[in-house]
Amino acid sequence: MECVFGLVGNGFSIVVADTSAVHSILVHKSNEDKIMVLDSHKLIAASGEPGDRVQFTEYIQKNVALYQFRNGIPLTTAAAANFTRGELATALRKNPYSVNILLAGYDKETGPSLYYVDYIATLHKVDKGAFGYGSYFSLSMMDRHYHSGMSVEEAIDLVDKCILEIRSRLVVAPPNFVIKIVDKDGAREYAWRESVKDGVATLA
Amino acid sequence: MKLDTSGLESTAPLFGTRSELLDGFSATPSFELPNTINFDGFQKEAIQMVKPAKGTTTLAFIFKEGVMVAADSRASMGGYISSQSVKKIIEINPYMLGTMAGGAADCQFWHRNLGIKCRLHELANKRRISVTGASKLLANILYSYRGMGLSVGTMIAGWDETGPGLYYVDSEGGRLKGTRFSVGSGSPYAYGVLDNGYRYDMSIEEAAELKLEGLSIMQHLRDGAMQHSVMEPVVELLAGWKKLSGDDVGELHYHYYPVTPSTVEQEMIEVAGT
Amino acid sequence: MSRRYDSRTTIFSPEGRLYQVEYAMEAIGNAGTAIGILSKDGVVLVGEKKVTSKLLQTSTSTEKMYKIDDHVSCAVAGIMSDANILINTARVQAQRYTFAYQEPMPVEQLVQSLCDTKQGYTQFGGLRPFGVSFLFAGWDKNFGFQLYMSDPSGNYGGWKAAAIGANNQAAQSMLKQDYKDDISREEAVELALKVLSKTMDSTSLTSDKLELAEVFLLPSGNVKYQVCSPESLSKQLVKLGMTQPAAEAS
Repeated sequence: MECVFGLVGNGFSIVVADTSAVHSILVHKSNEDKIMVLDSHKLIAASGEPGDRVQFTEYIQKNVALYQFRNGIPLTTAAAANFTRGELATALRKNPYSVNILLAGYDKETGPSLYYVDYIATLHKVDKGAFGYGSYFSLSMMDRHYHSGMSVEEAIDLVDKCILEIRSRLVVAPPNFVIKIVDKDGAREYAWRESVKDGVATLA
Repeated sequence: MKLDTSGLESTAPLFGTRSELLDGFSATPSFELPNTINFDGFQKEAIQMVKPAKGTTTLAFIFKEGVMVAADSRASMGGYISSQSVKKIIEINPYMLGTMAGGAADCQFWHRNLGIKCRLHELANKRRISVTGASKLLANILYSYRGMGLSVGTMIAGWDETGPGLYYVDSEGGRLKGTRFSVGSGSPYAYGVLDNGYRYDMSIEEAAELKLEGLSIMQHLRDGAMQHSVMEPVVELLAGWKKLSGDDVGELHYHYYPVTPSTVEQEMIEVAGT
Repeated sequence: MSRRYDSRTTIFSPEGRLYQVEYAMEAIGNAGTAIGILSKDGVVLVGEKKVTSKLLQTSTSTEKMYKIDDHVSCAVAGIMSDANILINTARVQAQRYTFAYQEPMPVEQLVQSLCDTKQGYTQFGGLRPFGVSFLFAGWDKNFGFQLYMSDPSGNYGGWKAAAIGANNQAAQSMLKQDYKDDISREEAVELALKVLSKTMDSTSLTSDKLELAEVFLLPSGNVKYQVCSPESLSKQLVKLGMTQPAAEAS
């Protein structure tokens, strides 16, 4: 089942998500990228109902882009997180989106940051956060091994620990994960951790 | 929420005056409300009626030569098999196909609607819509009706400027890009065969073979009564789709899993001297 | 000829003019002058008060200077009742932005949103345009100190020094002559008062006819909007030698 987690290191933020698209007992796909590059220095990792997940993150992405076109300046990560929270909150009493979000970003003034936004529009600025069944394992792992000012190597090591723990302890563990990073040089894919190969990954 | 029939509206009337004869064609389609007191209950029943994808298996995959799409051909209404020769592969246009699982009416209606939108795109942009674009169009429509009882599980497969393309789209708003999908109650069985035999660089013959095998094994395993529904594998190539065959699953099964004469343990001996 | 085209805001004259908008600008030409100057360490706004009476309770409110948000304020020239409406919408916009993003609204966006409102009245049916020009002074983290000027048509632009209201053209050309790029806030105050003293119709420059407001950063990094009290303004005028006898001389 779904596993999304992330952490803030020294000058960067990392988010990790599983890549399984599941319908009841069926895995339709095991290379579905659930982390969207929101803009040059922002990442949005989402878990939740597949339709809502895609529609909502795209909606946020398009609004962040529109802001940049209109005003010539990008939104800060904090502003984008608060905007996202606001959109979830206004939708909550009408037609709620079932999505949980980890928003990672890097700003010149404030450095790297990570925001936790759940589907009932709770917003927290965090150093480490997680959603889904995998959160029980990744949170305890991060509580034990996380410290402020981690290097990229240390952070990836911790991420791998979390993935290993999920794979070994979670009954419904997803096989594959994608890791993305954002730092002063921008947001980008860092690596995949695959235990099952799907045709597409090796293809196009 | 208003039903999106924009694709169906004609921009200009064909004839100057409206006549009773033409009204039926030129008017925007509208729906009659069901004649019932318990509307909620009716809706629930209606959903139940179309929801279960009983006995349906559709599958599709992309490979270097194109796209393969196959589906069984049985339609059921509850326990009653209403038809054994239904076309579950819908031709959106000569370069794009959709498959049908879930509510037949929903699938047919929205695929037809998609066909119109794709054609309009083609006219406006002087090029065919990509599979990515078409599937997103459908997914966005279905998403806007989410929770309102639509039942669609479909694969949009086709050939565009980027080569073969395949997307899974459903009425929950989900849309996935992939190399192989199967939808319907028989999909787990189909995946078993598909995952086993799939290679991107298959030849058309191999691909057709794989698909037939996929459909036949799963139908054998799942449902004996299914044996005689006809499958329609369709291959999609640079030159547009073409229908490959319509095989009887019953025959197919014996083709792939021939009956081997088992050794007779004990022969019946004719009683002599009667 | 023009009579047929000036009664509505929403139609062009054959020469391609919008008479109502031009008349609105004309109305502002009679209002008290306001001058804004951008400096390295802050923005200075000065205004000429028209309503002066011994009976007027002056200390409770300002006539021309309004705070929009913690980091933006503005000076007004034109019809004050119109201005009040716009100032209110600007304040609402600023709060709405903070509500959505939890951070102060960038100055230009605030100006733009207000000018969009102004523009609407030059195009949509049956209403007259706002007879107000604004000078906005503010600070944001993207572009630091900023000064904007807007007119009734909804046009706006960023300026280093700008003047609105009566004699704004004369004031503008004086500013153009005397402005230096690395001007300090004190120098900016001095320049603004000097220009105002020369362009005002009344012969004497006294603190009861003036308003002075500044936007600058406190050592803590917070933005401060400060309106100069009449007493300290008087002192400053004496120090600069701009009180009645001196003003006559210059």
